[in-house]
Amino acid sequence: MNRGLVGASLLALVLVIIGVVAAYFGTRYQLRLVYSAYVNLLVVLGLQVFMGNARVTNLSHSAFMGIGAYAAAICVTPQNIKAISLPDAPWGLNTFALDPVTSALIAIAVTGLIAFLVGIVIVRLSGIGATIVSLAVLVIIHSLFLYRTDIFKGNQAFFGIPQVFSLTSVVILAVIVVFATRLFRESRWGIALRASADDEVGASTMGVNIYRLRLIAWVMSGVLLAIAGIAYAYYLGTISARPFYFNHVFLTLAMLILGGMRTITGAVLGCFLISFGLEWVRWLETGPLLLGIDLPEALGLSGIALGAVIVLTMALRPGGIMGEREIEDFILKS
Amino acid sequence: MEYLAQQMMNAFAFGAEYALLALGLAIVFSIMGLVNFAHGEMIAVGGYSMVAMAALSLGNPMIVIGFALLAAVVASVTLERVAFRPVRYADPTTGLLTAFGVSIILQNLFLLLVSPRPIAVTSLYFLEWSIPIGMVSISSLQLFEALTTIIVIVALMLFLRQTSLGLAMRAAALDFEMVRLTGIRANRVFAMAFMISGMLAGIACIFIMARRGSVDPHLGFDPVLKAFVACVVGGFGSLPGAVLGGFLLGVVEVAMLVLLPQSLGGMTDAFVFGIIALVLVWRPNGILAARAEKGDKQ
Repeated sequence: MNRGLVGASLLALVLVIIGVVAAYFGTRYQLRLVYSAYVNLLVVLGLQVFMGNARVTNLSHSAFMGIGAYAAAICVTPQNIKAISLPDAPWGLNTFALDPVTSALIAIAVTGLIAFLVGIVIVRLSGIGATIVSLAVLVIIHSLFLYRTDIFKGNQAFFGIPQVFSLTSVVILAVIVVFATRLFRESRWGIALRASADDEVGASTMGVNIYRLRLIAWVMSGVLLAIAGIAYAYYLGTISARPFYFNHVFLTLAMLILGGMRTITGAVLGCFLISFGLEWVRWLETGPLLLGIDLPEALGLSGIALGAVIVLTMALRPGGIMGEREIEDFILKS
Repeated sequence: MEYLAQQMMNAFAFGAEYALLALGLAIVFSIMGLVNFAHGEMIAVGGYSMVAMAALSLGNPMIVIGFALLAAVVASVTLERVAFRPVRYADPTTGLLTAFGVSIILQNLFLLLVSPRPIAVTSLYFLEWSIPIGMVSISSLQLFEALTTIIVIVALMLFLRQTSLGLAMRAAALDFEMVRLTGIRANRVFAMAFMISGMLAGIACIFIMARRGSVDPHLGFDPVLKAFVACVVGGFGSLPGAVLGGFLLGVVEVAMLVLLPQSLGGMTDAFVFGIIALVLVWRPNGILAARAEKGDKQ
């Protein structure tokens, strides 16, 4: 537990330093980039809680992020804007507006409840079954976003969300979530869950209630993903269904895998490596002039890079860069 | 009555397509424990090979079909050699994520090298006409699809039961070490599994292309997702389970298409997956899963 606090504090320090450096030296565009890296960090940490501890691959996380973002957006957007953007909304959804904090709490509760209901099915399945069903969940939720255009506006922009978040707020949020996930990992539940991932039969003979622990981790993951969604919506002010689908799923999955899904340090490392590395690939994608050679435009290059990251990590270092090591292991003696 | 017969034929044809794909997934999974997310890309490879044929103005349907099958088989076997060999004996999660990455790479390669937009393929339209049987008229394509699936299942069964390589593959699904000790080459068993899997994807590709008439980088995603769900419901790794799951999914999907009001048209898949999830609450390991106790040596 104490090591956990030390490790989380070190990571928090790193996060604050990156945030401060970006705030002082970054251009407007770079600030946006750093902000989205922090939002993705929240997603990756949320993903790590379930995937890293229970070691069951989850592919539905972006959908839960979307639920959080939309729920908060529907609550917080002022009535006069909703009257324009959601004229046909059912259940009087366009007749009220709440303050950002209440909206966020409602969004977290709604996402947590949905995660709980989905989790009841997911946690009972074996590893691979759970992964496939989570993929089906992603497709179901996405088709709901697209189908109920009267509530979610589908692929069109849901606009007018008050932009109450800044880089400072997301850095603070990230620090809190790093502590929460790290302490969960080192807690009784976290240890029991990791033990059950190593040896299911062994852990259950020692009295570990695997289904219950997985459900707890799953719901906690859902709540963290909702927070990430809210942070996304409160900064951009505009959301649509597209960012909560497949591309975002494999972007964040690649981040977690590259860093190493078993540790919080791995999640943080992978997130920042890919966030900044991908920017370079995106620059290549536009067909720049490199060493005097005019490169052609290459759409899809970033996808290939992400896929290659996943494949190469799995082939060369299945545990990711960090493996089982956390950041404090480099400093403290074991 | 006519309507009922028509819908039953639809359900059978849908189910046949899912069963073909699910079999391809299950045969690879049963032998090496790999959840092959890149299976859908084999369908797309077949589809793009038809585009290539059209570009070379080779219109002969036999050549087009033969080449599409060949392309899917070659792609499948190549993937086994290049991408899946390093994770051959790794745990299922590692294999699953590798296949997921391979699938993303291939989709983006199509996007980069061919086109992000759908490309029309008209060379297979001749397969579709309607056959009047008594009061009912049946689509020839659906009939072909159902017949082909039955032939494929029987052929696969004969192969697995009557030939020594087939026997080796069935044994490999139970205890791969033992098979290697008897002197059968592991590489050959894996290559065969991927060859069959690619062949099944190629066959499914022909029917999908004949129905859709166009190919895009994400062609394989929807059908393979259904096939995955079929595998999970049937019991992952069980071949009869894959076939059962495929047909079950076909029936549920057509039932949803018929029963749901028009206004819920966009939500068919959501309802299908929802119903399937209920089956999984009843039987978390799938309907035909082997009753292995956890902790038994596989």
